[in-house]
Amino acid sequence: MDASNPMTTANATPRRTGRVRSSRRVADRVLRTACLIATIVGAVVLGSILLMLIVQGVRGFTPGMFAHPTPGPGSEGGGIANAILGSLVLTGIGITIATPIGVMAGTYLAEYGRFSKIAGVIRFLNDILLSAPSILIGLFVYTLMVRPMGTYSGWAGGVALAIIAVPVIVRTTEDMMRLVPGTLREAGAALGAPPSTVIISVTWRAASAGIVTGIILALARIAGETAPLLFTALNNNSWFSPDLMGGVANLPVMIYQFALSPYPNWQSLAWAGALLITATILVLSIIARLVIKPQMSR
Amino acid sequence: MNAASAIPTVDLTRNHANESGAVRIAVKGLNFYYGSFHGLKNVDINFHDRQVTALIGPSGCGKSTLLRCFNRIYSLYPEQRAEGQILLDGQNVLDPAIDLNELRSRIGMVFQKPTPFPMSIYDNVAFGLRLYEKLPKSELDGRVEQALRKAALWDEVKDKLRQAGTGLSGGQQQRLCIARTVAQSPEVILFDEPTSALDPISTGRIEELIEQLRDEFTIVIVTHNMQQAARISQFTAFMYLGELIEFGPTNRMFMNPVEQRTQDYITGRFG
Repeated sequence: MDASNPMTTANATPRRTGRVRSSRRVADRVLRTACLIATIVGAVVLGSILLMLIVQGVRGFTPGMFAHPTPGPGSEGGGIANAILGSLVLTGIGITIATPIGVMAGTYLAEYGRFSKIAGVIRFLNDILLSAPSILIGLFVYTLMVRPMGTYSGWAGGVALAIIAVPVIVRTTEDMMRLVPGTLREAGAALGAPPSTVIISVTWRAASAGIVTGIILALARIAGETAPLLFTALNNNSWFSPDLMGGVANLPVMIYQFALSPYPNWQSLAWAGALLITATILVLSIIARLVIKPQMSR
Repeated sequence: MNAASAIPTVDLTRNHANESGAVRIAVKGLNFYYGSFHGLKNVDINFHDRQVTALIGPSGCGKSTLLRCFNRIYSLYPEQRAEGQILLDGQNVLDPAIDLNELRSRIGMVFQKPTPFPMSIYDNVAFGLRLYEKLPKSELDGRVEQALRKAALWDEVKDKLRQAGTGLSGGQQQRLCIARTVAQSPEVILFDEPTSALDPISTGRIEELIEQLRDEFTIVIVTHNMQQAARISQFTAFMYLGELIEFGPTNRMFMNPVEQRTQDYITGRFG
């Protein structure tokens, strides 16, 4: 198209060319302005949320919050140590269950099931699970574990978080393994390596940074999940006990309950907890980027 | 009409009386299908022991397809299948009962783009050795060094064996892949356009290397570069639209082709 431009300029009248050009310039300016406005609106909303979170969160952010459990109604002071610890344990259980399942399933989709119809169905179901409302997952685990066991429990919370993390890990694992060039697999097979050896020693290695990033992003995702925990781990106002067969305190549910409470010290702890979760997710996202960077620039 | 049958086999031995004439791979009535597409049509061809045979022809003529039949690498893809016979020392490679991994340790393959694994230079070369043998470290070290020497890479990497294979230059990576293949002591090495992604100097080194490897291995090389075929091969096969048009000693193929299509291709009239 560009090459024919001088020809048309030579043959057509200069006025016509000028009009086409100016209308294009107007279209460009309109689109550019629209994009700019949309970006500003998005950034302002996000910025004000973060600003509010930092201002309010820092106020409640005290060393004491890491040392004391959540206070009872009407009592002064207190912290969120039990919720922090509980969140660590719950996300730990969740990611520990989800990682092997997610990586294995993603490997199946990318390698063994690559040409099968079943893989297509599984991939579709996984995508649905990926965008399923998390409250449904909470209700599912409630029916599956909390009702039969007769108690809210840390185990149920961990399982609910795992169910949310699995599809994220499946998807990233498959995508990252598919990015590994087919010739690398052929080279492995051409040396007489069985498929399992090629997957473990070649494909996983080549995709390792991407797979780890997927796991970290899944961790960031479940660290802030509230709905599935409301029906499973619920809460617990005392110090964390090693017994996961009872309710376990955690940051998201603590924020949910404390933010709606009438007590100022509870509200301020909720802000601090929200800031802590956001900062954790930020750090996890930065780690994920650092992990994937060397691979992308290779 | 059929060029392959028009050339008496005695011609081969007469033109190359000083070369070893033993047949290492005999292809008989080979047909290949990509789904419903008929990629190779009744190919009959013999590959000679410790000789370099070049497969030439325009893109899509089936030369890579033929190469990919020898180690059955095509079987990674379910819609691809081969019919006929490929006899390696009298054993039919296409027999479903054959142990594929054992077959592939006997027939090595080097690809168009270098394919170093994401591991150290040492581990790349040791990869194939570790698959079937549990060698003591000292012996493994020796085999790795030997393979790297054969691939003319030892002097460049001997001080950085623990560094990543992916950190080498393109030409070095390709020689690393050759070392990895050579380490397994295969009988046959298949080269699928091994220099098309490399600069002229790296290409020259790979060509010299192939010349040396001929002492020990039977070599089949697919190439788009006719000068390369003329430089490094003893036999040349010209393929077109899935058929073997003409096969013979490289000298005769380039100086005095029997088939009009061969002549047209090597003189650059098409392809």
